[in-house]
Amino acid sequence: MVGPAFDCLANPLGSVRVLFEKAIESGRNPASLSRADFTGEVFRRFLFEEGGLSHVPILDSVNLLGIPPNSLVRFVGMVQDMFDDEYYVGAFKDGSTWRTNKYTDVSSLPMGPSSEMHLWDRRLLYCVPVPGQNSWFKAAFTPINSLRGHSSVVSHQREKRPREPDSMDLEVDGSDPDLALSSHAKKTREEGSSCSQSSEALESNLADCMSSNFDSSSLPCLVKIYDGPDVDIKLNDIFEFIGVFTFDPELVNHNSNHDELSDALCEDVLAHLPPSKVPRLQCIISRRLALLDLISTPLGLQPGQELVKGIREALLQSLTSVLGNDGLAAKYLLLHFLSQIHTRIEPVAVGKLSLNLTGFNKKNMGLFGKSLDNAIQCLLPFSDSIPLSIEYLNTTSLAPKKNYQTNRLVTGALQLAQGTHLTIDETELKAGTLNATGVDNIRILKQFLDFQRVEYEFEYYKVAMDTDVQVLVLSEAKSNILPADLVLPFRPVEVGSYLNASSSELEAWRWYLSTLRSHRYHTIDPAMQKVVQDDMVAARQADRSLGTEELSRWLAMARLMSISYGENSLKPEHWQMVKEMEKLRKERLV
Amino acid sequence: MTGPDFEADKALCKDFINNFIDIHGEPKYLNILQDVANRKYCSVDIDLDDLLSNEDLDDGFLERVRMNTRRYVSLFAEAIDDLLPEPTEVFPRDDDHDILMTQRSEENTENSDTADPLQKMPPEIKRFFAVHIKAFSKERTFSIREVKASYIGQLVKISGIITRCMDVKPLMQVGVYTCEECGFEIYQEVTARVFMPLFECPSVRCKTNNSKGNLILQLRASKFLKFQEAKIQELSEHVPKGHIPRTMTVHLRGDLTRKVGPGDLVEISGIFLPIPYVGYRAMRAGLVADTYLEAMSITHFKKRYEDHVLRGDEQEQIDRLAEDGDIYSKLARSLAPEIFGHEDVKKALLLLLVGAPTKKLKDGMKIRGDLHICLMGDPGVAKSQLLKHIINVAPRGVYTTGKGSSGVGLTAAVQRDPVTNEMVLEGGALVLADMGICAIDEFDKMEEADRTAIHEVMEQQTVSIAKAGITTSLNARTSVLAAANPAWGRYNPRRTPAENINLPPALLSRFDLLWLILDRADMDSDLEMARHVIHVHQKLEPPPLGFAPLEPTILRAYISAARKSSPSVPKELTEYIATAYSGIRQEEAKADAPHSYTTVRTLLSILRISMALARLRFADTVGQSDVDEALRLMQMSKFSLYSDEKRQAGLDAISDIYSILRDEAARMSSTDIRYAQALNWISRKGYSEAQLKECLEEYASLNVWQIHPNTFDIRFIDV
Repeated sequence: MVGPAFDCLANPLGSVRVLFEKAIESGRNPASLSRADFTGEVFRRFLFEEGGLSHVPILDSVNLLGIPPNSLVRFVGMVQDMFDDEYYVGAFKDGSTWRTNKYTDVSSLPMGPSSEMHLWDRRLLYCVPVPGQNSWFKAAFTPINSLRGHSSVVSHQREKRPREPDSMDLEVDGSDPDLALSSHAKKTREEGSSCSQSSEALESNLADCMSSNFDSSSLPCLVKIYDGPDVDIKLNDIFEFIGVFTFDPELVNHNSNHDELSDALCEDVLAHLPPSKVPRLQCIISRRLALLDLISTPLGLQPGQELVKGIREALLQSLTSVLGNDGLAAKYLLLHFLSQIHTRIEPVAVGKLSLNLTGFNKKNMGLFGKSLDNAIQCLLPFSDSIPLSIEYLNTTSLAPKKNYQTNRLVTGALQLAQGTHLTIDETELKAGTLNATGVDNIRILKQFLDFQRVEYEFEYYKVAMDTDVQVLVLSEAKSNILPADLVLPFRPVEVGSYLNASSSELEAWRWYLSTLRSHRYHTIDPAMQKVVQDDMVAARQADRSLGTEELSRWLAMARLMSISYGENSLKPEHWQMVKEMEKLRKERLV
Repeated sequence: MTGPDFEADKALCKDFINNFIDIHGEPKYLNILQDVANRKYCSVDIDLDDLLSNEDLDDGFLERVRMNTRRYVSLFAEAIDDLLPEPTEVFPRDDDHDILMTQRSEENTENSDTADPLQKMPPEIKRFFAVHIKAFSKERTFSIREVKASYIGQLVKISGIITRCMDVKPLMQVGVYTCEECGFEIYQEVTARVFMPLFECPSVRCKTNNSKGNLILQLRASKFLKFQEAKIQELSEHVPKGHIPRTMTVHLRGDLTRKVGPGDLVEISGIFLPIPYVGYRAMRAGLVADTYLEAMSITHFKKRYEDHVLRGDEQEQIDRLAEDGDIYSKLARSLAPEIFGHEDVKKALLLLLVGAPTKKLKDGMKIRGDLHICLMGDPGVAKSQLLKHIINVAPRGVYTTGKGSSGVGLTAAVQRDPVTNEMVLEGGALVLADMGICAIDEFDKMEEADRTAIHEVMEQQTVSIAKAGITTSLNARTSVLAAANPAWGRYNPRRTPAENINLPPALLSRFDLLWLILDRADMDSDLEMARHVIHVHQKLEPPPLGFAPLEPTILRAYISAARKSSPSVPKELTEYIATAYSGIRQEEAKADAPHSYTTVRTLLSILRISMALARLRFADTVGQSDVDEALRLMQMSKFSLYSDEKRQAGLDAISDIYSILRDEAARMSSTDIRYAQALNWISRKGYSEAQLKECLEEYASLNVWQIHPNTFDIRFIDV
C-alpha cells in the first residue's frame, strides 16, 4: 500500500496531500480536520520504526543553503518565544475536490476568491539553538553527512536565492566546520596561556570544550505547530521538531516594502524575521528532548554499579585536583552537578542545590576560576556564566522582557534551557550605586536563587517562569545578594590544574553526569526514614535555628549522594557521609 | 445547502424591535429609537439577553445572530432604518451633514428615473447611529488563547489587559465623488481598511457619452467614522505555566473609541473576524490571514470583592456551606492548607479577608472597617508563606517587603511620564491595594521614617500628597497585613514583651491584632517537621492534609458573599462589650509589664472582629458569641507569652482555670456558675473546653465544687 507517494523524506507534502485525500475519502468533514492529526501516524512510523530519522538532515546555518525547500528536516532548539496564532486557509475547494494547505506557506494550487474554504490556525514558535551549548556537545550533534544526499540541488539553489551580504562571510566561515573548530581552539589556547601557568597541560581535545555562547552557526528557526494541545510545549523546553522546510523566494523580496498603511500596531512580527535568516519549519512531529536523549552512551560501556562507582571515583579525583586538592569542595561540586529539580511543592522547588564557594578574590579567580570553568564546560552540555559587577547589574536586563514595539520577547541572561549550569562570579562586584535596573536585577537574582523562578517582564504584569538551573556562585565572602543553598569556604592547598582526561574518560563522565541526573526513582525505606527522622529531630533540639530549608537540603543531598553511587534507595553510609560533609562544612564556616 | 433567509430574518428583527417589552413594561427599543431620532444617542445596543427572553423568536435565530454577527448587525441596522420614527423634538439643522442630506433627498426625487445603481445612496450615509449587539451577560468570558479559528465570524467575549492603543483616526465609510462632466454624486462604500478610489465616472450619462468624466473626492460629503485600534493581552492568570501571553488586535469604531487606555483591565465582547488582505499581502492572502476583534461593547473590570459575580452553582455551594455549622473553622483551615497548624492565626486572617463594614458618621467622619493584623514571630514559622497565600486568595492584593519599600514606594510618588513628559501620580503598594489587602513582610526592617507613612493609611485610609505642584489625597482603603521579627531576631524571654516587640505604640495600637508566634523547642513539632520534609522528598508531593480544603474559588466566592452583609450591634450587647473592655483595661493596669496597649482603638477592634464574625454567618446582628470569639482571638494572639509567664509563676492550666472561675464567681458573689458562662470566661483567656472539663473533674474530686451531671453547671461548696 505504501507506494512511491509516501516519499516522506524528499516529498513530505506529497504524502500530506495523499493522506489528506484519504481522510476526506473516509468521510471526514474538512472542517473537522482542522486540528486532527492525519499525518502523524505515517510519519512516526517512517521516522522511528523504519529508521528514517537518521536520514533527516538537521537544519543549521551550515546546510541551510543546501537543503531543498519542501523536504523533511529536523531542528533541535529551545523555545525562546511564542507568537500569536496564525490563521491560514487550511482546506479549500478546488473545483469539486478538497485540498489542504497544511504544512505549507504557499498554496500549491491557485485558489479562486470564491471557492469554499476553511480557516485553520497554527501556532508559531520562535526557536533558537540551546543557549550555552558547549562545543563538545555541539560537535556531537552536528552530523556532517546530512549534506551529501542533496548535493545536486545545491548549486541550483544558490543562484536562486539572494543572500544578505552581512551573513555571507559568517556562513562561509561556518561552512567548513573543521576549520572553524581548529581556529577556535587556537584562540582559546592563546587565552589560556596568558592567564594560567598550567596551560601546558592543556590538551587539544580539551580546548574544543571551551565554548563561546554565540557563534556563527547559531541559527534561529520559526517553527509552525499544527497538531497537539497547546500546553504540551513550554517556553525554554528543548525540543526536536521534524517537519517540512519551506522557503518561498517570492516572499523574500517583498518583506522590506512594508506598506505605509500598516501602522505601528499592525506590526507583523514575521517582517523582522526574513526567511533567509530565519528558516521556517512546518512541524509534523515534535518531541521533547531530555538530557539523556542528547547524550549518547559511549560505546563499550556496560552500565552497572561497579562501573558507576569507578567513574565516580575518577571524576571526584579530577575535580579535586581542579579545585587545588580541596576534597570537600569537590564532593559538594559533584552533588551540585547532579542536582535537578524533581518537583515543586509551592513555593519550594524540591531538589535544587545551589552552591556558593567563598574565598575567591581577583587573585585566585585567575588560578581556579579558569580551570573550574573549563571543567564545567567539558562536563556539562549547557553552561553559562555571569560576571556580576555594578555596571553589569545596572545595564543588562537579566529577565526577559516583552517588547511591545516589535511584539517579541527580548531574551535576558536568565532565559536558560532547563538543566543548564550557571556560574555567577561575584568577585568583580565592588561597592557602588545601583540604579532602578540594578535593584530590579538584584531582586530577580534573589528570587531566582530562592525559588528557581524568573519573572518575565510583560510591562503590565509579570509572568513567573519555572527554571531548573544549577547555580554556582563564586564570591569572596558569603554572598548576600545571591542566597545559595550551600555556602562553603573554598580551601585549596595547591594550585588548581586543568581537567586532565582522555576523550574516552570525558565521554564516560558526561554520560555519568547526565544519566544519573535524570535518575528519578529513589526511595528511602521505612527503617532509614526513622533514622533520618531521629537525626533531624535531634539536630533541631540541639540547634533551634535549623529550619525546614536545612532539613530539606540534607535530604536532597542524601538523595544525590546515594544516586552518585548508582543506588536506588538511601543507605545508612550515604546518610552518614552527608552528615559528615555538613559537619566539615560547618567547621569551615566558623 | 440553502443559506438562511435574510429577508425573513430582517422581518424578525423588525418584529423584535417593535414588540419587545422590557421588565418595566416599556417598549425598550422603540424608546431608544426615539432618542436616536432626536439625536440624543448615536448607538443602538441590541442585547442578546433581550433576544433570549423574547419567546417569539426561535432558537435558530438567536444562534444565527451569534454565529454570523456581522451580517445581523447590518440586518438590524436596515430594520432600524425602516422603523426610525420622526424626531419629536426640534434641533437646529445646521450640521453640514444635514444640509447635504436635505439637498440630496430633494435631488433624488427629481432624478428618480435614472436608476443607476452607483447613484443610489447607500443606506450607511444616511445613518447617524451604529448598531451593536451585546453578548449575553452570563456568557463565559474567554481568555484570548481559547479563541481559535473555529470562532471566526462569531460573537465572543474576552477579557484581557489593553497594552497598546493607537490614536483615533477617521475611517472612511462611504466615499462621495462628484463627476466633473455630469455633476452626479457617486457613492463608494468602503468596507476594508484600504480602498481603491474611483477615477472614472461610471454613471450612465458619462458612459453613453463616453466622456470619461473625472471624479473628485468630496471629503466634506463623505462619511467618516472614528476608528481606533488597540492591542489586548491575556491576563496573567489565564496564561498557562511556561507560556507567553497571547495578544489580539481590537478594532474600536464610533463611540467605542477612546474608551480604553493602556493598562486597563477590560472585558470586550465583539466579533472575531479575519482581515481581508490587499496589495502585496493579497498574494499571501489565500494562506495567511490576520484576525481582529470588532468590538461591540467594552466593560472595565474592577477587581473587588463587591463586584465578584457568582458563577454557576457557586451560590448553591455557598448556601450549603452557610448551613454547615462549622463554617468558620472550615474556611480558616482552607487558608494555606499546606501550612501546618496555626489554626487561630488562620482564623484571624480569614477575618481580615472578610473585614467589617466601613461606617460613615453623619458628620462625615469615617470609621474604618478593614482589619489590620501584624504577625510577629521567630524566623521560620511560615509567616511569609501565610502572607503570600492571603495575597493569592484576595482578589486584589499587593505583597511587598519592608526592606525593599521606601515610604514613597508604599504610598504614592510623583513621577514624570517618559512618553508625554507630564507629571503623573504613581500609586504605591498601599494605593494599588485600595479595596484589597497590602501585605508588608519584614515590617521591622523598615526605616522608621517610612513606617510613619503608613500611619495615615492605617487609620484615615487615604494617602495625602503635596509634591511638585500636585496636592491630592488618594484612597487607600486597604487592610494591612504585616509580618515582623522580634527586636533581636528571635523572641528573647528574658526581656519584657514591649522590648521584644519594639514597634512604637502609635503604630501598634493601629493593628487590631498583634499575633505573636513563638517557635519553641518542642519535640512534637520538630518530629512533625522532620516527617513533613521526609514525606515531601520521598513522595514528591505535599503530605495529605487529613481534610479536604475548600477550593480557592469557593473560598473567594464565600468571602465576597459575606462581605455584602453589614451586621449591626444590638443595644443589649453594648453593655456586655463595655464590661469586657473595662475588664481588659483593669487587668492591664494591674500587670507590671503589660503585653498590650489597650486603648479606645481596642474597643473598635473588638467591634470590628465581632462584625466580621457575624458577616461570616450572614447574620444581620452581632451575637454575643461573636464578641466572645473576638475576645478569645485577642487573648490567643498573645497566648504563647502568657503560657510562658504562667509556667514561670508555677501555675498550670488547670489551676489557672480554677482561679479564673473562683475570681469570677466571687465577682458575681454567687456560688453557682453556669457551664456556658464558665466556658466563655476560660476561652477568653485562651483555654480549651477539654482543659475546662479536666479542671472540673479534678476539683470536683477534691470536693471544691459540685458538677451537675447533665448540664455541667458548677456549684461551689461553701467552706
